[in-house]
Amino acid sequence: MQIFTQLVFSGIALGMIYAVIAFGYQLTFATSDTLNFGQGDALMLGALVGLTLVGLGVNYWVMIPLVCIFGALQGAFVERIGVRPAIKMKSEFGWIMSTIALGIIFKNVAENVWGRDDMKFPSPLPESPLHFLGANVLPMEILVVFGALAMMLAVEVFNRRSIYGKAVVATFNDRDAAKLMGINTALVITFSYSLSSMTAAFAGVLIAPLTLTGATMGSVLGLKAFAVAIIGGLTSGMGIVVGGLILGIAETTTGFYLSTGYKDVPGLLLLLVVLAVKPAGLFGKSAIKKV
Amino acid sequence: MTSLYAKLTLSAVALAASATFALAAEPIKIGVAGPFTGGSSSMGVSMRDGVRMATDEINKAGGVLGRQILLVERDDEAKNERGVQIAQELINKEKVAATVGYINTGVALASQRFYQEAKIPVMNNVATGSQVTHQFDDQPENYIFRNAAHDSIQAPMIVEEAVTRRGFKKVAILADSTNYGQLGRADLEKALDIKGIKAVAIEKFNIKDVDMTPQLLKAKEAGAEVVLTYAIGPELAQIANGMTKLGWKVPMIGSWTLSMANFIDNAGPGGEGARMPQTFIQEPTTPKRQSFIVSYLKTFNPKNSRIDSPVSAAQGYDSVYLLAAAIKQAGSTDGPKIKAALEDLKSPVEGVVTTYNKPFTAKDHEAITANIPVFGEVKGQRVVYAYPDDQKKASEVRVKDVNAKGALVVKK
Repeated sequence: MQIFTQLVFSGIALGMIYAVIAFGYQLTFATSDTLNFGQGDALMLGALVGLTLVGLGVNYWVMIPLVCIFGALQGAFVERIGVRPAIKMKSEFGWIMSTIALGIIFKNVAENVWGRDDMKFPSPLPESPLHFLGANVLPMEILVVFGALAMMLAVEVFNRRSIYGKAVVATFNDRDAAKLMGINTALVITFSYSLSSMTAAFAGVLIAPLTLTGATMGSVLGLKAFAVAIIGGLTSGMGIVVGGLILGIAETTTGFYLSTGYKDVPGLLLLLVVLAVKPAGLFGKSAIKKV
Repeated sequence: MTSLYAKLTLSAVALAASATFALAAEPIKIGVAGPFTGGSSSMGVSMRDGVRMATDEINKAGGVLGRQILLVERDDEAKNERGVQIAQELINKEKVAATVGYINTGVALASQRFYQEAKIPVMNNVATGSQVTHQFDDQPENYIFRNAAHDSIQAPMIVEEAVTRRGFKKVAILADSTNYGQLGRADLEKALDIKGIKAVAIEKFNIKDVDMTPQLLKAKEAGAEVVLTYAIGPELAQIANGMTKLGWKVPMIGSWTLSMANFIDNAGPGGEGARMPQTFIQEPTTPKRQSFIVSYLKTFNPKNSRIDSPVSAAQGYDSVYLLAAAIKQAGSTDGPKIKAALEDLKSPVEGVVTTYNKPFTAKDHEAITANIPVFGEVKGQRVVYAYPDDQKKASEVRVKDVNAKGALVVKK
């Protein structure tokens, strides 16, 4: 039982790492039907900028808002350069290539600026584990879980309560109608990209003390998060959290009870099953697209 | 008419003369292939820097055969497919005389066949997979050489340290899923088998995995007293960090990669005490080593005056000197002639790791034997000699001994 608890705790922490990145996919999908495939690289940039700031002597907690600002600018840049032209041309798939391309460019730039190696991100919290229900948990893991939840909650509240959020929701529901109602939908889309990269950058500094920080940290995490977004459903914030937890716990428990060689299999099997049975995701609203 | 003919002949002769002159002055191209980015890069870049340093010294002293050495460096990103591309480019486009490098066993195994076909020697200076030099055993000639301690030397050393010297009976093996990790795991199992021990847990993980809880829990539940590792820096650090998290502390003993800077830095206090076989430890134990270290630190100025991967730097440095000696003896840059010279080097080459006295024969393409590596230990964020005895005797250069004990253990 003690082992199971330990596996679940580790799975939850891992799952929330995936979920907080997956959340960014959902934000842009909600407004423009597009995704930023460079989400993993936005996370990496956030973590590396954060590491540089901490290295310059900035306090961890002061650094977070600075990194968020950086992330927002980076997201707006991606939207302007990579996504807007594709949307304007009504190209179905142009944004896929351009966001992937920008991701690769960011990775290469990061390798040149910060070097090639994985670095340690100094932990703002003590690194000795806490004992909880017979299992060990790092304080940083708790921070990741609550930090991620708080951030997602904040964005959800913003979208539901504020007038700007309503513009986002309106753009999601019917972009043309929203435009006719006087909503600057282009700006809303840029904003959603800013927000998504901001969450990724925030996720980056949040998880960096647990993982290692380096130019290649985003690739695997971005991919796993994408699986989470598909499993949970690209239209549901709730689904993202549940999807993340499912994937995280599936990985750790399979690793222990089945074989560590197969730990990635159940999550990806689940992904295939979800795509086959409920393509909108476990919690997604299925939309009927008329052609 | 005759005058025109004479003129033509004259210009043809002049052209031919200038061509031979150009040929004489043309630099000797040597390929350098390794990962200069990504998780393996602390090995790759240290190797490259060692290679650059040796090349610089040789060029300043007038080069080889009166020609300068020109390095053609390519980043294989530790990816097999990139390695294959680069091999073809270096052979067909750059027309290199030889190539030094290969950090990753998988990349070496994927890329070497092109050199073998083109009859161009490869001097592996870091990759340790036992198979690397035996890939073409079924062919009459073998163009693959190595000056690194291969896994059939390292795995028995690791087992010897864990089981015999320190008396652990229950061992767990944690290896990554690359060719390196899995071939190394097989070598570890073989070496354990000789001692009559079966690992209580054998676990696997992928490059870039951020959570090692399941693997460590399995090892812990199986009652492991020691963890034997075969992986590279970042994931090794995740193992150490995972142990800290689980509050489970057993010694880590593993392949030489436990000396990588990105393991030491990222594991922090959790990495202290890790032990690994090393062919070179960054300590000025001989004049040659001292000048190597001083000049490396001056040229590349690494963080904390610590070479990121001292073993890679030293072996990279030596690999160029070995090749240069062979080219000089062959008097040519023809692949088969260089190979023949390497298999019968007349004059000893004084390197950083050892003095290479007839390092290769037609049958034996390994310059390092089991008596050369010593045990290193992570202490105060640096790799030092694990045993005071080794340190005391460090100034004696350990030279190749084909009858060394470890080599017998792994004899098939």
